Amino acid sequence: MTRRHRFQWMIILASILCIVPAKGNEPAKKLSFNRDIRPILSDRCYACHGFDEKKREAMLSLDTFEGATAVRDSGVAIEPGKPDSSLVIERVLSNDPELKMPPPSSNKHPLSSDEVNLLRRWIAEGAEYQKHWSFLPIASVTPPRESASQPIDRFVLSSLREQGAAGFSDRATKERVLRRVTFDLTGLPPTIAELDAYLADESPQAFERVVDRLLSSPSYGERMASEWLDAARFADTHGYQMDRERRVWSYRDWVIRSFNDNLPYSDFVKWQLAGDLLPHPTKDQRLATAFNRLHNQNEEGGIVEEEFRVAYVVDRVTTFGTVFLGLTLECSRCHDHKYDPITAKEFYSLFAFFQNISEPGQTSYFTPDMPTPAMLLSSDKQDAEIVQLDQEIAAKEIVLSKITDDQAFNDWLTKRPSAPEIPGKVAEFKFETIAGNKLVNEVDAKRAGNCVEGPELVEGPAGHGKAGKSSGDNGFDFPGLGHFHRAQPFSFSLWIKQPEWSKRAVVLHHSKAPADAASRGYDLLLEEGHVSFGLYYMWPGSAIKIRTKERIAANQWTHVVGTYDGSSKASGMALFLNGEKSEVEVIRDNLTKDITYGDEPNLAIGYRFRDNGFKDGAVDGFALFDRKLTPLEAAHLADRHDFIEALESQNLSTEQREKLHEYFLATVSGAWKKSEHELSELRDKKRRLLAPIPEIMVMEELPSPKPAHLLVRGNYDQPSDEVTADTPKALPPLSADTPRNRLGLADWLLSPDNPLMARVTVNRYWQMLFGKGIVETSDNFGMQGSPPSHPELLDWLAKDFVEHGWDVKRLLKQIVMSDTYQQDSKASDWGREHDADNRWLSHAPSRILTAEMMRDQSLALSGLLTVKIGGPSVKPYQPDGLWSIAMGNPNYAQSHGPDLYRRSLYTYWKKTVPPPSMMTLDAADRSYCTVRRQSTNTPLQSLVLLNDPQFVEAARAMAERSLKEGGKTTQERLEWLFRCGTSRQPGEKELATLLATFEEQQKLFADNPESAKQLLKVGERGVDEKLDATELAALTAVTQMILNLDEAVRRR
Amino acid sequence: MSGRSMTRLNRRSMLARSVTGVAGSLASLGFMHLLSQDALAATESKGVLDQLHFPAHAKRVIYLFMSGGPSQLDLFDHKPLLNQKNGEDLPESVRMGQRLTGMSGNQSRLPLVGSPFKFSQQGPSGAWISELLPWTSKIAGELCFIRSVHTEHINHDPAITFCQTGHHLAGRPSIGAWLSYGLGSANENLPTFVVLISKDRIDQPLYSRLWGNGFLPSMHQGVQFRNAGDPVLYLHNPPGVSSRSRRSMLDRLAELEEMRFVEEGDPEIKARLAQYEMAYRMQTSVPEVMDLAGESTETLELYGEDVKTPGTFAANCLLARRMAERNVRFIQLYHPGWDHHGGLPGRIKQLTKDVDQGCYALITDLKRRGLLDDTLVIWGGEFGRTNYCQGKITPGDFGRDHHPRCFTVWMAGAGIKPGFVYGSTDDFGYSVAENPVDVHDLQATIMERLGIDHERLTYRHQGRDYRLTDVSGKVIRDVIT
Repeated sequence: MTRRHRFQWMIILASILCIVPAKGNEPAKKLSFNRDIRPILSDRCYACHGFDEKKREAMLSLDTFEGATAVRDSGVAIEPGKPDSSLVIERVLSNDPELKMPPPSSNKHPLSSDEVNLLRRWIAEGAEYQKHWSFLPIASVTPPRESASQPIDRFVLSSLREQGAAGFSDRATKERVLRRVTFDLTGLPPTIAELDAYLADESPQAFERVVDRLLSSPSYGERMASEWLDAARFADTHGYQMDRERRVWSYRDWVIRSFNDNLPYSDFVKWQLAGDLLPHPTKDQRLATAFNRLHNQNEEGGIVEEEFRVAYVVDRVTTFGTVFLGLTLECSRCHDHKYDPITAKEFYSLFAFFQNISEPGQTSYFTPDMPTPAMLLSSDKQDAEIVQLDQEIAAKEIVLSKITDDQAFNDWLTKRPSAPEIPGKVAEFKFETIAGNKLVNEVDAKRAGNCVEGPELVEGPAGHGKAGKSSGDNGFDFPGLGHFHRAQPFSFSLWIKQPEWSKRAVVLHHSKAPADAASRGYDLLLEEGHVSFGLYYMWPGSAIKIRTKERIAANQWTHVVGTYDGSSKASGMALFLNGEKSEVEVIRDNLTKDITYGDEPNLAIGYRFRDNGFKDGAVDGFALFDRKLTPLEAAHLADRHDFIEALESQNLSTEQREKLHEYFLATVSGAWKKSEHELSELRDKKRRLLAPIPEIMVMEELPSPKPAHLLVRGNYDQPSDEVTADTPKALPPLSADTPRNRLGLADWLLSPDNPLMARVTVNRYWQMLFGKGIVETSDNFGMQGSPPSHPELLDWLAKDFVEHGWDVKRLLKQIVMSDTYQQDSKASDWGREHDADNRWLSHAPSRILTAEMMRDQSLALSGLLTVKIGGPSVKPYQPDGLWSIAMGNPNYAQSHGPDLYRRSLYTYWKKTVPPPSMMTLDAADRSYCTVRRQSTNTPLQSLVLLNDPQFVEAARAMAERSLKEGGKTTQERLEWLFRCGTSRQPGEKELATLLATFEEQQKLFADNPESAKQLLKVGERGVDEKLDATELAALTAVTQMILNLDEAVRRR
Repeated sequence: MSGRSMTRLNRRSMLARSVTGVAGSLASLGFMHLLSQDALAATESKGVLDQLHFPAHAKRVIYLFMSGGPSQLDLFDHKPLLNQKNGEDLPESVRMGQRLTGMSGNQSRLPLVGSPFKFSQQGPSGAWISELLPWTSKIAGELCFIRSVHTEHINHDPAITFCQTGHHLAGRPSIGAWLSYGLGSANENLPTFVVLISKDRIDQPLYSRLWGNGFLPSMHQGVQFRNAGDPVLYLHNPPGVSSRSRRSMLDRLAELEEMRFVEEGDPEIKARLAQYEMAYRMQTSVPEVMDLAGESTETLELYGEDVKTPGTFAANCLLARRMAERNVRFIQLYHPGWDHHGGLPGRIKQLTKDVDQGCYALITDLKRRGLLDDTLVIWGGEFGRTNYCQGKITPGDFGRDHHPRCFTVWMAGAGIKPGFVYGSTDDFGYSVAENPVDVHDLQATIMERLGIDHERLTYRHQGRDYRLTDVSGKVIRDVIT
């Protein structure tokens, strides 16, 4: 459309439609700010004279009436009623490059004379401003009085008539409508049987019956999921660098299920945004929140975690904005939005809703499990077992705590040993000498320690001889020791000294790395003088960790004992400093799975891969125990005399007696040990039950919100003003009683007052059925987006959708049942001349099939399609070597058998090397949220459709089917094939061409019979050897031709 | 949306729906009669730019991307001070708070490490080049070394995405896609934007988004030419389908579509058919460009022994020259393997051996064929490497971590000053001392050489006009003759 054209349309539009008939009796000619003026001001002026205060030039804002009409030194920018004295007009007309607006340096196009005239007229008419249309409440609209029964048709017809059209185009043929609606609602072509049935059904309800059948077919959910997965940026890998697999297909299953069950769209959205926050959430409600975690996640070693954590949260906000609000919120990440009323502060207020989870910025390399928070994908049976075990464990814990074994204790007291005994020691290192790079193990000489990268020996604590010293990058490791799992009690004991506190120093650990392994294992850290002890499955969400409230003295020897009882609870951990049990702070108390790797790392002291080691720190007297030590033992190890005194005392104090009793139970009492052993067994059973159960990333709200800040220019390391969770001011406010969390946000989004959510949603489904939304920019309802072609229809649909319970099947049925939808796609003469881009829907739109439909059609028609809903992703044919550019040269383990022929939404999607045919056929890049796909036309697409083995094999299988099902003669078979591919009978001339093609191909293959055999070998399905190879090869070539016809690849 | 951009969008969508410049190729095939006036009108303009913003000095670009981040300190940025201070800690006064990666950032010490390789001055500019690059040294007189390139990103994924798309997060079009969008094709029988990747060298990964179209129509995405199997995916007919069989089938397809066109009157039918013809022609033109049989022994020797092995850097350089001759607009080579956190002295020897002679041969070959005048060649990675050792220095061995603050890129041809050194770093080789050049500046300069003002080649996506250089970038005037 030319510029002139466009503005003619705009004038016509303005004259016939008015979103808010504020003054109902105005002459129809009056211009509308929203439709006529805002697009000009937004595009040419607002970048410097708009909403973003920081970028505002000359303190002039043209985005509000007040700003534009303010009296300034130089005059008035816009003087209502007086275009000639409005500076705006003077400046846009100026020829002086210093004065001309927009300035030539801005690279913005000067206003056309049409645009200047519009501006003049609008000022002359009073320069009335309007709120941007999409921010106004959804209007209650009555469908125009037109001769159509369906409201949709009345709206469309009314616009068409205003444009001068006589009415709709003719209804499309039954074949064409069936083909269209079957693809639109199920993503598949109609079968011959469906075609025949519909053609034979002459009742007025015939089409409705078809629609109902399609909406209740399981393929409907798959089709709808294909659309949604673009928006959800769904893929099978994490996206950055290593791009490792993430198993999230159960989310896809949930999406398919939800559409098939026709879950109200409001619930569909609410569960995804905030299912975890619903009261007593179901597993599905929690699973749905995976939606927020499907953004790319980075595994690259050495990244700054906060940089990427911020990127993840930003992605959540961006996706939320695109899918639900149709707003480009991300534009306000670095500065106030240039066009829409969203400040950077408001962006970070939304950010605050989406960051309150315990998540890492770096996904783990060594432990490729789901980043936290994650939920178990357990079966109902497993859930029941877990509940059962939890009850048994709790009961056994009570039993154990009540065992006193008093009789035996009293007996023991009388003949107690004279010297302390500390059983369960599995290793001890005194750091006295280094011989051959080894440290002597006093308990088990075969399990010596190693010196790594040259640690030194220095003076130890008084009376303890030498000690080991680490530079922070070197230290000691202890192969074969300390491989504890989380159901095993254990303890360690050692002397430590560091010249000064540092932010973080790793003293002892059993792990491969911090971020690169999500800290899996256990460790003892010094954090600015506080001693911490943690056990980790996946940091930060799944761990138990305690930290002493007191700080140890710098540059002084301190004795540390850490104990753990195998309970997977923070309360089962303790720290003793210099023999005294320390008061601790619980940092984490949520250990959900095991702390082991499968291939265990060495226990080490002094250093850790990519971490802050125990810089200039010294250790001595390191001992390891396979049980939880008692206080008397801890005191004894710290050179205190409590234990000896208690043993020697003839007059036990109450405290001494209690401590001895505790020691007795733990080390001597048969009853206690038996019971403890049983408890351990139960804990171990639970550990083993949970270990193999897969998990999926979900949202799990932290008890208190993380502090949120405006980030200057979007930089993670430049936090400025603190913000709290809130919604943008330009939209209706969050009510006072709404919680400031994702659930509150979802309620706000779904409230009838929200002007965007319902409009954006119905528009996207309109786009799904018509190829183009009523608002063409379905991803942008802001000021730079396109205005709606049928604003009243949009509002009517939105309101109707909400009033009928956000019922998606009903919405789709309503649309496809309309005459508008069922028109022919062939443009009428009027349409060709006046509605070339089909804005007014003077005919039904035609468009190329999506990548999924293209492949699924071939599979369906060939009979190869595996009919199965849901499950893990599959790996169909792909040329060799494509994945070799990915990290670690991963192997593309192609599927075989039925998995080669699943519907395309199940195709394994590796983000850094996506399936090539799908990408060539314009599938969306799943690295970010997309709600509008590209549609292009390239030679590479032809190559895929003609040469990709998937398509070649399908054509062959379809040709094979024609031999068996398509009739007796070649002509019948060709007709059958043509009908499968296009859903209609070929014409006489077409049939002649089909026959000629067949004969030519048959001759070519007959001349070279070997070539026919080769062609038939393509693919893994195998061919019926009894069939005539030449004939089948020739039919295959014809089938390929048919499947590449415009009518086969385009939905018309 | 302005009227102007409406027109532009409209043309673009027409282009998207049809094809760039099919008219010529179809005419020669005798398919002209199939094309209605509409379809012809749609293919007139080859790119979105009606006219270039500046006179073009380059018609095409060959970008030799050294993925992983080559060590500038062992190749081009000669720092004797590091040898003197070998093993001493990096002074905080030099680092000045620069963030480090988590790989070396937690080390208790950051020991400086000098290059074990000898440097000498080469060419008229007296550019320092290490002994690792004897062949490159010979062409120093053709190259312009920019030693002051810097980036914001310290990790591979964001840094390489930034270099190739102007933004560190996925989703933006790559340089080649922008050029295809702006300039269109100069040879309809080959893709406008071709990617060649050295085989067997992946350590850090590559991603198809690095040559992706982002939000531009997907026709602008780079097409990877592979050294094994089909050079372009699905290029060859299925086994058993002869060229005659395909030709005959396509002719019949055209016949049926013609009937359909009469019935339907939709020019899309023909636009799509034109793509089948293009694809058919590519089946000849792609193998032709990939076939080195016609190259003289002398030429093959110029590129060295490796050229005989498909998928080596040398072989890809020769292919790049062949594509340049055929006016492929943007030829992107990747040579991965430069991520030398450890074992640098040994590994960099291998990598320089991989690329050195190929670079020499490419420049020499382009020059003698008169192609260097209008071909812009760029060599460089996504960031540099640290002047301190990652881990411990041991006898004969060390490694360097990622370094964003300075690295070296060289450019040649298309009116870039030959035999010139631009920018410098401090004596520690840590920060830029003069004439800093950021990645957007490089991108702006590439576009300028092609006649494009980087601020004016924009695409409206979600209401915003995007461009390759985001919101910054300035042409480096000082490196242009």
